[in-house]
Amino acid sequence: MIINHPLLGPRDAAEFVYLGDAALLNRPDWQASDAAEQFYDYQYLRDNPAGDHRELWYHEQGDRSWLIVARNTLSHEITKVELARDVARARKQAHG
Amino acid sequence: MTELILKSQLPLDGRSLNYPGITIEEITDQSLVSIAVPIDGAAELNAALQSAYGTERPAVGKCTNGSMDNAIFLGLSQDQFFIMFDDAKLNDKGGDPAALIRDSIGHAAYVVDQSDGWVMTRVSGDSCRAALERICPIDLHPAMFSTGNVARTVMEHLATIIVCQAPDTYILLSPRSSANSFLHALDTSAKNVA
Amino acid sequence: MDNSSQPQRLTGGMVDRKQALEFQFNGKSFTGHPGDTLASALLANGQRLVGRSFKYHRPRGIFTSGSEEPNALVQFRSGASHEPNTRATTTELYDGLTATSQNHRGSLNFDLMAVNDYISPMLSAGFYYKTFMWPKAFWEKVYEPIIRNAAGLGRLASEPDPDTYDKGFLHCDVLIIGGGPAGLSAALTAARSGARVILGDEDFEFGGRLLAETYEVDGKLGSEWVANAITELSAMDNVRIMRRTTIYGAYDHGIYGALERKTDHLASSGGKPRQVLWRIYSKRAILCAGSIERSIAFGNNDRPGVMLAGAVRSYVNRWAVTPGKKVAVFTNNDDGWRTAKDLADKGVDVTAIIDTRRDTSFEAPRDTKRVLGAHVVNTTGRLGLQSITLSDGQTILADCLAVSGGWNPNVHLTCHQRGRPVWSDTLAAFTPGSELPTGMIVAGAANGTLTLGQTLREAHEVAATVALDLGHIRSTGSPSTADDEPSAITAFWHVGESRNRAWVDLQNDVTTKDVKQSHQEGFRSVEHLKRYTTLGMATDQGKTANLLGLAIMAECTDQSIADTGTTIFRPPYTPVPIGALGGRARGKDFRPTRLTPSHEWAKAQGAIFIETGAWLRAQWFPKSGETHWRQSVDREVIQTRQSVGVCDVTTLGKIDVQGRDAAEFLNKIYANAFGKLQVGRVRYGLMLREDGIAMDDGTTARMSEHHFVMTTTTANAVPVFRHMEFCRQCLWPDLDVHLISTTEQWAQFAIAGPNSRKLLEHVVDDGVDLSNEAFPFMGCAEITVCGGVRARLFRISFSGELAFEIAVPARYGNSMMDVLMTAGKPYNVVPYGTEALGVMRIEKGHAAGNELSGQTTARDLGMGRMVSKKKDSIGSTLSERPELNRDDGYTLVGFVPVDRSKKLTSGAHFVAKNVAPTTANDQGYMTSVAFSPSLGHSIGLGFIERGADRTGDIVQAVNLLANEAVDVEVVSPHFYDPQGGRLRD
Repeated sequence: MIINHPLLGPRDAAEFVYLGDAALLNRPDWQASDAAEQFYDYQYLRDNPAGDHRELWYHEQGDRSWLIVARNTLSHEITKVELARDVARARKQAHG
Repeated sequence: MTELILKSQLPLDGRSLNYPGITIEEITDQSLVSIAVPIDGAAELNAALQSAYGTERPAVGKCTNGSMDNAIFLGLSQDQFFIMFDDAKLNDKGGDPAALIRDSIGHAAYVVDQSDGWVMTRVSGDSCRAALERICPIDLHPAMFSTGNVARTVMEHLATIIVCQAPDTYILLSPRSSANSFLHALDTSAKNVA
Repeated sequence: MDNSSQPQRLTGGMVDRKQALEFQFNGKSFTGHPGDTLASALLANGQRLVGRSFKYHRPRGIFTSGSEEPNALVQFRSGASHEPNTRATTTELYDGLTATSQNHRGSLNFDLMAVNDYISPMLSAGFYYKTFMWPKAFWEKVYEPIIRNAAGLGRLASEPDPDTYDKGFLHCDVLIIGGGPAGLSAALTAARSGARVILGDEDFEFGGRLLAETYEVDGKLGSEWVANAITELSAMDNVRIMRRTTIYGAYDHGIYGALERKTDHLASSGGKPRQVLWRIYSKRAILCAGSIERSIAFGNNDRPGVMLAGAVRSYVNRWAVTPGKKVAVFTNNDDGWRTAKDLADKGVDVTAIIDTRRDTSFEAPRDTKRVLGAHVVNTTGRLGLQSITLSDGQTILADCLAVSGGWNPNVHLTCHQRGRPVWSDTLAAFTPGSELPTGMIVAGAANGTLTLGQTLREAHEVAATVALDLGHIRSTGSPSTADDEPSAITAFWHVGESRNRAWVDLQNDVTTKDVKQSHQEGFRSVEHLKRYTTLGMATDQGKTANLLGLAIMAECTDQSIADTGTTIFRPPYTPVPIGALGGRARGKDFRPTRLTPSHEWAKAQGAIFIETGAWLRAQWFPKSGETHWRQSVDREVIQTRQSVGVCDVTTLGKIDVQGRDAAEFLNKIYANAFGKLQVGRVRYGLMLREDGIAMDDGTTARMSEHHFVMTTTTANAVPVFRHMEFCRQCLWPDLDVHLISTTEQWAQFAIAGPNSRKLLEHVVDDGVDLSNEAFPFMGCAEITVCGGVRARLFRISFSGELAFEIAVPARYGNSMMDVLMTAGKPYNVVPYGTEALGVMRIEKGHAAGNELSGQTTARDLGMGRMVSKKKDSIGSTLSERPELNRDDGYTLVGFVPVDRSKKLTSGAHFVAKNVAPTTANDQGYMTSVAFSPSLGHSIGLGFIERGADRTGDIVQAVNLLANEAVDVEVVSPHFYDPQGGRLRD
């Protein structure tokens, strides 16, 4: 596969390490009253879609950036690649 | 006071290898320092670089040249880049390349000495691209990767930073501990195409 | 040239008659020419019989002229270079080539195993499944050895492969797969547009069918047009032309696998890689793979001399060889008539042309019998074809029968991403479906465009569109032109009235009867048909056979071929040697080796090295007279504990952490608190995974307010860095913190033992105060050594002794080891390796990789109280889950054998005394063991239920693998200096 890195252009997937669902960005608040349940969901409960999936890839043999790759798990078509840091920052701004 | 003397060693003992159309040589006179850009500190760092080196920090994938010490800045990631420069000023024992950069740019960035962490090589010659084709996943065609481009990638399982220094001239950096394996990879590639 | 040695050689063709090449087949010498394949040269010499078939050991000859060959598989070369199952049809002739036939006992002409042919009724489809079922005990001792001995075609060389292989990466705008008329037309167009083009073909000559036919292109002979095209393409620096290169697989996102045969056509590789496996990155790929002819099934259609008609034309036109002196043609399409004409034009006697169609208007060559609406029902000739019998009863003499059942577009690569081809009634063939691999376009015969004029035009148009699409706007000119040859077909698959066995798959000896039997026994899906009958398996993957088989199945099931479908095509298109897939990764080149800074020094001392990941570390340093590793290791431990020892610990991961928020960041990734660590101090840190399991541990030193230096375990250096980048970028993107690995930058040494301070005093520069007051336990400082060399000094201890770790820039690493040994001479310093390091950490009760196994928590490790509840850190919330905090949970404790002379084994499980060693009774397991020279007996660390409360308990440590049980006593894990007084002095 080839991942079209937002800063570097197309790079072979062999340079990357896969982590999993991009929902791992949404780490719960440890002080929430139901923190234990929220962390349990965060850690273990994930969708396994046959189709579009947003997932985390790390450019270990490259610029060391974490990316969020929108990939179709059936066709491997990649429709969007973003820097995870940008997404995480936008999320923080939205959630305050 | 000790009378014990520490001897400095190069990762490849300064070796060079020659094949028809391909030269592989260890670069022996360069220091390497990483520079990380503080959050919200890009403008200040650019100003510091501008005044010390007459250039700004490089974009990712690009190099810029500094006005002293033959410095080249290698744009490796969004908030971190390397500077590679002549180590002539550091010939005194204990000379600290990171300190030298800190002296040049003040406290505008976080600097870390990387000079001993990498084996630095230069691969050049008419056939060098044909040799690198055997191990380098990056497209080195001049239209795609010309002078002043840099990429961090993997060659024969080894992390490698490749810089196009001039047409058919590349600087390759790879971790020091596996320097012999890296040289072997380059050597095999050269032999296989020479 | 003396033609008497090559009785079947004709005039013309593309062989260089000026040069004679000697070669040997089955020990007999023959002559051929440059440009020949082994197959064409054998045919030129009248050698029709080249091998024996897989199951029935039937005599077999050359069936095709390309990589689809099912029959003519030979053992190529000899000795270590010997390669079985090599297709004679693609093997380029060179002077001195040797090959032998395979799959026979005794001579090729008289194969003892040919008895299988007489018992063939017993060997039909499903034979293995049915026959070897009973008695059960017979399988291993009787059936399997017999089957194994009889199975397979060729034999592997028993020596290591003497050749080398390489891999590489190529990039292009347009990859053109196949260099026939379509490929060349597309390549010219794409190249003229300015696009970067790679043109690959499996053959050693470009041109494809143009070399095999007598067609004209642009008013010139086809082969001349090909030569001009190659000349033009070769002169363009945006084109890479790759002969002898099979594009064997279409992978995701425009990546293709290609095998380039560099030296297979040479007598010797000359020390260069024999083959190169390329990974080609393309923006677009134009598949111009042409088409493959198929046969018709009729009685005894497998004899040497029965060939595909297109192959006969190839031999006649390209190689100037006639496969027979009297040739008959059997066809269901216009192609057969072209065969008859080309043969007759070359002066070959064409005895008859039999067309299954009644209504064709082609004229036969003079003296050729024209038989319409008839079939070939049987053939004769034990070791080669002698005559054919037709459905009307007449017998026709022929030593070669050219068969054409029609042409299949070569859709193989279009299906590599699970695309399915679609059936065309007009062509009586499958054509590419709509779901192609990303970026692939198909042109020419592969696309079902089976005539030359249309092929040239289509390929040009496709290439022009692709070029424009990629932004190459330079004019590409107009396409080359040619006539469209007649290509009408009426599908005809097998001769129903044949009473004799009729072969569908020659390579696997699958006959029409086997397909019918598969249907009768319920194996009707094409995938089942394949597995049950082996139709379409092995080296040729049924390229000439599959459609025939499924057409017969369609007939049996009364379905259309479209509804019957095809089996899935998967890479590789043709076999790829394992050697090429391995590339350079053989022996010690399997992976890189990382050497510690003091490697040279250690090697000079005669150290024994051990691989830890990619690192090579000194395991122990034997001294003369020591005959067992334990002697060396015990000595290293004792000498260190008594005086001082030095160990290279560079392999531990080092991560430089800087930033205004570095302390806050560390507080989040370590379970214990780091925010208030003072500058100049070091702290042990435990990292958890988010699920609450321990991930890694190490020490982190605060060098200045915003600067920390972290160490990780050797094994986890990379994963920890990755995890920290994840935390930094994805979880806390606004923290000002920056990471870089300095593992390679600093050579680091542990100096341990009561005399370590004294040793170091000789090394550090004036003004560095190493006293306990100035530089206490868990202190750190940047200092200089040996007259001004920068160094970092840490007062940390893994051994439990007064100890330091000192780091110098890696360039001084080897020399530093020497310096430390020189400075330590007065104290009888000893270098120690990873074994002694391990023994001392077990004596001290420190957890390491065996304990941080990815299954254990801080609580299990006896560090539960370190997990701060006052802050958020990775893993802190989930570490509180009840299941991880059970009262009967595991705790890390020490174990000693009750009988001190007994040895402990790591991995042993604990059960109570006088209780059976079953899972139900399992109480835990031993993780690390060592012989403790300090205590004089074996000791162990391990996890056991309620460990903290069980000091003094006696349990059994059971090792079922060795069938042994040792009574052990539960003790504190801190075997040595439990109060820690030694390291604080």
